Order: sequence, then C-alpha cells, then structure tokens
Amino acid sequence: MKLFPNLILSGTLLAVALGAPIQPAQADPARDAIIAQFKAQAGVSSFSAARGKKFFHAKHAGGKPETPSCTTCHTNDPRNFGKTRVGKVIDPMAVSRNPQRFTDPKKVAKWFRRNCKTVLGRECTAQEKGDILTYLSSI
Amino acid sequence: MDDAEMQLTFPMPTNRTTIANKPMPSTDRNMTTRPVWDLFIRSFHWLLVTAITIGAVTGFILGPTWLRMHLIAGTIAVVLVVARIIWGFSGGSFARFAGFVAGPRETLRHLAELRRASAPRHVGHNPAGGWMILFLLGMILLLAITGTTVLGGVFKTGPLGFAVSYDLGSAVNKVHKLLAWGLLGLIALHIAGAIYESLRTRENLPLTMITGRKQARPGDHLPPSRAAHPRSAALIMLAGGALGTAIGLALAQKPVPHLPITPLDPTYAQECGDCHIPFHPSLMSAQRWRMLMASLDSHFGEDASLDEETRKKLEDWMVAHAAETVDTKPAHVFAQANPENPISLTATPFWKTTHKAIPDKVFKSKPVFARTNCAACHKDAETGMFYPSNIEIPAEAQK
Ligand code: HEC
Ligand code: HEC
Ligand code: HEC
Repeated sequence: MKLFPNLILSGTLLAVALGAPIQPAQADPARDAIIAQFKAQAGVSSFSAARGKKFFHAKHAGGKPETPSCTTCHTNDPRNFGKTRVGKVIDPMAVSRNPQRFTDPKKVAKWFRRNCKTVLGRECTAQEKGDILTYLSSI
Repeated sequence: MDDAEMQLTFPMPTNRTTIANKPMPSTDRNMTTRPVWDLFIRSFHWLLVTAITIGAVTGFILGPTWLRMHLIAGTIAVVLVVARIIWGFSGGSFARFAGFVAGPRETLRHLAELRRASAPRHVGHNPAGGWMILFLLGMILLLAITGTTVLGGVFKTGPLGFAVSYDLGSAVNKVHKLLAWGLLGLIALHIAGAIYESLRTRENLPLTMITGRKQARPGDHLPPSRAAHPRSAALIMLAGGALGTAIGLALAQKPVPHLPITPLDPTYAQECGDCHIPFHPSLMSAQRWRMLMASLDSHFGEDASLDEETRKKLEDWMVAHAAETVDTKPAHVFAQANPENPISLTATPFWKTTHKAIPDKVFKSKPVFARTNCAACHKDAETGMFYPSNIEIPAEAQK
C-alpha cells in the first residue's frame, strides 16, 4: 500500500507549492553524477535547458499514437502533478517541486528507456537526456 | 377424495359452521373478542415481513453491492425464526405448534370441507395455514444455511469460510436462488390464503395480526388450552442466542485456506504500481502472467520493460501466487480469458458483463479515469478479494 506515504508526500509537495517560496533547484551529488555521466557519453561539456524544454514539450512521431509527447503524462507544466493513462498520479517532474527527482541512476535509466520508446519509438540520446534533466532541474 | 367416508368418520354439524363463519350481528357494538396473537407472535410476524422484504429487495434487485444489508436482513430473519420455533414449544395455546400442526388426515379433511364450504372457523391457524407456517419457517432456515454456505465458499468469509470451496459455494448459490423464488411463492400463497380466509370468515385477518384479537363466535374451533412460559422461553432464547453467536464467531475465526497473498511483494508493488494499481497476482493464471511478463516492452501501448534480473524475480513471485494457488471468486471468474487479449482483465467476459451497467462517463470521469483503475471503485482491489461490500463508485464520478 503506497497510497498513504504518497498522500503525505503529495500533501507536503502541495504545501510547498502553495505556501513556501519556490527555492531554486537544489544541487544533489547523485543527480550531478547522473548528468556528468550523460556528458561523458555525449562527449559534451554542457547541456541546454532551452533544448531540453523544446524536446519535452514537442509532439513527436514514431511512438504510440496515444502518447505523442512527454506532456501527455507529465502535463504542460512539469511543476504540476501528472497522470498516467490509467489515472495514477505522477509526482511533479520539476526538481524544485520534487527534490528526489533524478537521484537514482537505475530509475532514471529505466524511465528514459521506457518513455522515450513509448513517445518516440526509440531510445533517447545521451544529449537529449542531459538536456531534459538540465531543463527539469532549472524550473 | 371420498367425501362420504370423510363425513362418516367425522360427522360435522353443519349449522355450527354456518354460525361460526358469520360475525355477530352488527348491532352488537360490544362484540366480544378474544386474544389470539400474543405480542411475541405479532412482533415476530411484522419484523419477519420487514427482514424478508429487505432480504428480497437486496438479493433480487439491488445486487452484490448491497451484500452487507442482505446479510443483516438474513441474520435477523434466522434469529426471528429460531425464536419462533422456541416459542412454538413454550408459548400459549395459539402459539404452540401442537395447537395448529394438524396430521395429514385432518388437513385433507379441512381442505375437503373448504371445498364444500362447510369448514369450521379456526381461531388460530387452520390446518392449511399451519402447514404454511412450517413451510415458511423451514424455507427461511434453508435459505440461511445455503446463504452461509455461499458466503463461505464464494466470498471466503463468515462461519463457513474455512470449510467450503468456491465450487461448492457457487453451486449452492443456485440452490439459494431457487429457494428464494420458492419462498416468494410460499409468501404469495400465504397472502392469498389470508385474503381467502378473511373473506370466508368475514374478519380482517391481517388486521388481527396487529390488534392480536379476533371475534369470539359460537362454534369456534379452538386449540387445546396451554399456558405460556415466557420466562423460560426468554431464557432458552438468550442461551441459544449466546451459544449460536459464540459458535458462529469461533467458526468465523478459523483460518480460511487458499486466500490471496498479503501484503504484495514490495518490489512488485513498486514496479507494477507506477502506472496503475498493482494487480494482485491471484487475478490471473501463471500462464497468463508469463505471457504478460514476456512482452513488457510492448505493454498495452507502452514500454514497461524491466532489467532481466527484476523481471525474472517478479515473474517468479507472480507465478508462485497466481490464480491456481487461491480459491477466491475473482480467481475463478477471471479464469475465462478473452482469446483476443488474454492478459487483460477488463477484456474478460465476466468483467464485461458485470460492468455493463456502468455508464462510460463514469469510467472517463476524473476520479476513475480508466476502466483499469479498479481501486477507484473497489476499495480492496489490491488484496485481490473484490468483496462486494467494498464496492463504491465515487460520488463525483456519477454526476
Ligand atoms: C505514458 C505516460 C508517460 C509518458 C508519455 C512519459 N512519462 Fe516519464 N514517467 C512516467 C511515469 C509513470 C514515471 C514514474 C513515476 C514517478 O517516478 O513518479 C515517469 C518517470 C520519468 C522519469 C524518471 C523520474 C525520476 O524520478 O527519476 C523521467 C526522466 C521521465 N519520466 C522522462 C520522460 C520523458 C523525457 C518523456 C517524453 C519522452 C516522458 N517521461 C513521457 C510516465 C510517462
Ligand atoms: C509504463 C507504465 C506501466 C507499467 C510500468 C506497467 N504497466 Fe501494466 N498497463 C499499463 C497500461 C497503460 C495499461 C493499459 C491500461 C488501460 O487499457 O486502461 C496496462 C494494463 C495492464 C494490465 C491489464 C489491465 C486490464 O485488465 O485491462 C495488466 C494485467 C497489467 N498492466 C499488469 C502489469 C504488471 C504485472 C506490471 C509489472 C510488471 C505492469 N503492468 C507494469 C502501463 C504499465
Ligand atoms: C467505475 C467503478 C468500477 C471500476 C473502475 C471497476 N469496477 Fe468492478 N465493479 C463495479 C461495480 C459497481 C460492481 C458491481 C456490479 C453489480 O452490481 O453486479 C463491480 C463488480 C466487480 C466484480 C464482482 C464482485 C462480486 O463478487 O460480485 C469483480 C470481480 C470486479 N468488479 C472486478 C474489477 C476489476 C478487476 C476492475 C479493474 C480492472 C474493476 N472491477 C473496475 C465497479 C467498478
């Protein structure tokens, strides 16, 4: 039963969202390490939040027709709660609203593999992944 | 029937019945009445009417989501019937079985006299009515026994949960339904009989079941006079009630075999609960889970792939707790897969028929969102039980 902890988490996040001033995304060594690895794989020294934003909000072809975009489930504003196609609530993707985001390399790898295949019909490149994480850490 | 012989063995002065079947002259305002139905009998009668009505409405019309009310009504009916049986051996003249249960010969004679319009007026139950009482009480007891068997076998709860298999429970369910129709038939006959006898003897019999008193007429057929023993009756009822409750509770505590595993494996709940509720492994057979786990990269239009180590670990756990290992209703009803989509529950014939009456807009509404979101309506979806009393369509979804 994950409902209860989820509720508490959602409640806290909501309180943060409504009341507390929005803090700039906090740096986290684990997340930094994940991004650093994407940098090494892509052979670049920095990622672009603007490119990541464009990719995240774009409508893609090649994947399943029901899910043309990352925003299908994560909504147009990654600071909001999302919803799966079965109605399950997805916690916000923006690091400012959900500091635990992108801190578990296995989880990040699993969902990039799945969601990119579902939306684009292919895996995302290290460059794309790095841009997306940079974007989601910046808002 | 040989009427002549009947009359030979039991000569009946015809003038007696003629007098008895007519009320006293209506000029006599102070018509004498006598107490017939005591307070217990009257309360019993109308409480039973209420309980059986609730039982019938919840069972025949309102359906499984009213199971709890149905069980309460049934339990009350059985308690009433048992108390009535005790009173049948300890109550006053009109309450005693000995006073109104006639032998076959007497019953046949009464029926013959009815046909000849020469039957006497029985102040208590006449022989036909007496048998009806026994049939009604017996039918209700049989309904309680079969009902408890269904509750135990199909829903794995109640005093017989530990003892009855799903197969036996669902077979007995058919008997329970037949008996319920039988009881409705008996009730119809009982009412018809009461109306007929009211017209025949010119006395409002249903009303006498409220006032408890009937007119006293010359020539009335009275049962042998017996004293009531309310104190010892109450004692026996209380002791019986306590014993029955104790036995029922003790039996209901016995561990029920072949229940779905609980709680879910945490890795399973996590990995298979990210996009939807984690479906309980007891809902499908091992073979169907293996099929599902072999095609995770193309899972109902999404990629749900896992690393091989996790995938294998989950599959082993699901197979170990699949439908074959339990004896619940969902495990049995979902066993019939839809050949076009064998790894889906919502595609099964059972799911489709049971949810046919729910409008599409309910499934699309915000709090439900998708058919697959079982937990929106089934509060115990994650346990694999899907007990009818735990069904509640969110109020918002019905707007
Ligand atoms: C079909 C619905 C759906 C779509 C479409 C979707 N996602 Fe997701 N995504 C999810 C779910 C569900 C999770 C896991 C839920 C959670 O972690 O709260 C998730 C998790 C993630 C994670 C991991 C988050 C973490 O905490 O590590 C990343 C990264 C991600 N998604 C990126 C994307 C990107 C990029 C796209 C578009 C290419 C996308 N998603 C499209 C449903 C979706
Ligand atoms: C990436 C998201 C995702 C993950 C992870 C996921 N599923 Fe699903 N699952 C879906 C979607 C989407 C559907 C289709 C729902 C619909 O049609 O409403 C579905 C449907 C199902 C159904 C059929 C439901 C029905 O009756 O129609 C079963 C069974 C199921 N999933 C089992 C699992 C199991 C077991 C796992 C873990 C190994 C799992 N799922 C992991 C997204 C997911
Ligand atoms: C919109 C609400 C709703 C959703 C979502 C829903 N159900 Fe139901 N379900 C009901 C209702 C209402 C009934 C009772 C129907 C009736 O009166 O016969 C029912 C009946 C059942 C029963 C029979 C219960 C019994 O013993 O009589 C089962 C089993 C069941 N549902 C399984 C499921 C599963 C599995 C899912 C998800 C894949 C699901 N349901 C999704 C509302 C829902």
